[in-house]
Amino acid sequence: MTVKVRLPRILTQAVRDGLRHELTGGDVGQVLDRLFEAEPGLRNHLIDEDGQIRTHVLVFVDGERADLQTPVPEGGEVQVLQAVSGG
Amino acid sequence: MTQIAVGTHKGAYVVEGSGHHWSVEGPLFPGWKVTTFGRAPDGTHLAAVGSNWFGVGIHTSADFHEWEQTDTPPAWPEGEGRKMDQVWSIHDDGARLWSGVSEAGLFTSDDQGRTWAPVAGLNEHPTRSEWTPGFGGLCAHRILTAGQQAWVGISAVGVFRSDDGARTWNLKNDGVPPVGVAEDAPRPEVGYCVHGLAQDPEHPQRIWRQDHAGVFRTDDGGDTWERIENGLPSGFGFVMWRDDGSARLFCIPLASDENRVPIGGELRAYSSDDDGESWAVAGSGWSEAPQYTAVLRGAFDGDNRGMFCFGTTGGKLWLTPDNGGSWQELAPSFPRIDAIRLLS
Repeated sequence: MTVKVRLPRILTQAVRDGLRHELTGGDVGQVLDRLFEAEPGLRNHLIDEDGQIRTHVLVFVDGERADLQTPVPEGGEVQVLQAVSGG
Repeated sequence: MTQIAVGTHKGAYVVEGSGHHWSVEGPLFPGWKVTTFGRAPDGTHLAAVGSNWFGVGIHTSADFHEWEQTDTPPAWPEGEGRKMDQVWSIHDDGARLWSGVSEAGLFTSDDQGRTWAPVAGLNEHPTRSEWTPGFGGLCAHRILTAGQQAWVGISAVGVFRSDDGARTWNLKNDGVPPVGVAEDAPRPEVGYCVHGLAQDPEHPQRIWRQDHAGVFRTDDGGDTWERIENGLPSGFGFVMWRDDGSARLFCIPLASDENRVPIGGELRAYSSDDDGESWAVAGSGWSEAPQYTAVLRGAFDGDNRGMFCFGTTGGKLWLTPDNGGSWQELAPSFPRIDAIRLLS
């Protein structure tokens, strides 16, 4: 299944191939694994030492808040955002 | 032409110029804290970045303009309960890079900073369960090396020394008061809040220490420390710097632990030409207007030829071209400054 991934602008210097990717995977965890194969420097920025999405990183699937287990439909979009943390 | 790299809470900048004419390039790494700079043995520049959202990163550059992020910065293994908050320092011993991080630990790189390996002898030290953080977190922030010996300063734990190529480490804090301990309590093994370290490269057993509890010197590699504060208005501060060309020491006193600004707003570097036996205000040119701002441990750099620069938490740069004789505040302003590197 092909899905789209959009990354926040602050990660511009952490990627080699831009902030938009087309990848495969049936859930968010699988999609991110494919993303990290293409962009190995991103894993540290999105996944914490507990193997979970970082506390202040938000992931959405087609506009709905998601976690690593959330299914991603064919043609769906995974968007990563920086949480509004602070004042 | 002087070129200064400035690492701030919101990106890095390169300041270039002379006299009263300075240009600013940047920000590099917009939106990221730039916590320290380094230089690899092959000359590669390094910049460590951090984010409250996205963790840490290491970027490398051949020319300080074009940067590439490495894939594997220092990292704690998943599932072991430690968090990588910040890369505090990058030290080049001539053949290998060392990095001090928080949550406190030491990592080394033998490939110019592309990959990092943990220093198990320190990171898994038998006292680790007793390590407690200072105000800046539980951070390993100062690294010195000389042959098979190495020293690392960890807040608020103390100075460790290895005599066997970083395999084993011993605490070296005798003579320094612990922090947060009653005066009549038994002396603890850990709990010493080192802030800054500087070393005489020709006599590496001689080390100067800006500590939470004052200013100290050792002549025996840290086995014993003696207080050296004659002429200082306060023992508190973060910076300890030695110009190896002239053997002149610099520190920048702040009022106290609970009041981390210069006394009376008189921001001054103090220097010593007698290995710390006595201190006095370094040169002239200091602002007559109050400067209630601090200078952090990584925000002072020199070229060992008389040029020094420091940056303040208020975002200003101060420069001296003549070994501390005259000081100039540069016009540009920046976010809070964590790191300074004189590039030329």
